[in-house]
Amino acid sequence: MYRKLVDLYAGGELPQELEDEMEWAAFPDPDLSHDMATLRRTVELLRQTPAPEFTEESNQRILMKMFARGLDVEPTTYTPSHMQLGLPIQG
Amino acid sequence: MPDDTLQNSQAERRWLHALATGDSTALGHLYEIYGERIFRYTFRMLGNRTDAEDATAETFLRVLRRSAELRADGAFRTWLFRIARNLCIDRLRQHKLIELPADAQDAGSEERATLRITVHQALADLPTEYREPLVLCDLEDMPAREAAEVLNISVPALKSRLYRGRRALRDKLGGALERLK
Repeated sequence: MYRKLVDLYAGGELPQELEDEMEWAAFPDPDLSHDMATLRRTVELLRQTPAPEFTEESNQRILMKMFARGLDVEPTTYTPSHMQLGLPIQG
Repeated sequence: MPDDTLQNSQAERRWLHALATGDSTALGHLYEIYGERIFRYTFRMLGNRTDAEDATAETFLRVLRRSAELRADGAFRTWLFRIARNLCIDRLRQHKLIELPADAQDAGSEERATLRITVHQALADLPTEYREPLVLCDLEDMPAREAAEVLNISVPALKSRLYRGRRALRDKLGGALERLK
């Protein structure tokens, strides 16, 4: 039962009031406190981990692979942020 | 529902209908909506850019081959991820693909790159049955019900794997948990 509660706590699935109660209850129990803190930190780390970058080079290689297999897809709107240059309108 | 999500949903229905009626150019538009997410998912499952690019391309090719099965009923994303997942599982069975991301510096600062490499290594060491729910739920932020459908398991089974996976990942991370504070 306690393990299930710690799992829910770590994933942020409990109401704030219940989280506070758990933290209070775990205060005198170093093992439980450690279990709760490290598991929650693990979930936070996972959620903070940067996503792999979808580069224009990757995009083009994927399109080329599809093209090589006979599929001519023509996405028109994807432009990665580093290619979105704010050039002044000329003329 | 945010406007762009609503627009994507409406566009998705339009392109799915077009694809189901034989318009193969509609696949390009579906790729615009989902290509990046499928790439991120396959990268996280397979662990390197080249295999993720292959798997992403193959996923959309399979969509075209199976376009007769398409239904614009909101289940397309689940179906798409399931195709990508099956491709990843096949590749993982064939080879031990996970490797250090050569382009970790893409992640930006040194601290972020370190975080990505450390988590990546720890994830790579986990059994696939634990890695999958972590990638879908914690990294891709997919709702539990949808992730369970992608993995073809019940929601309680998904949660059980997710919770065990988090504990296994914690054990793999060990002291890195402190260093990455």
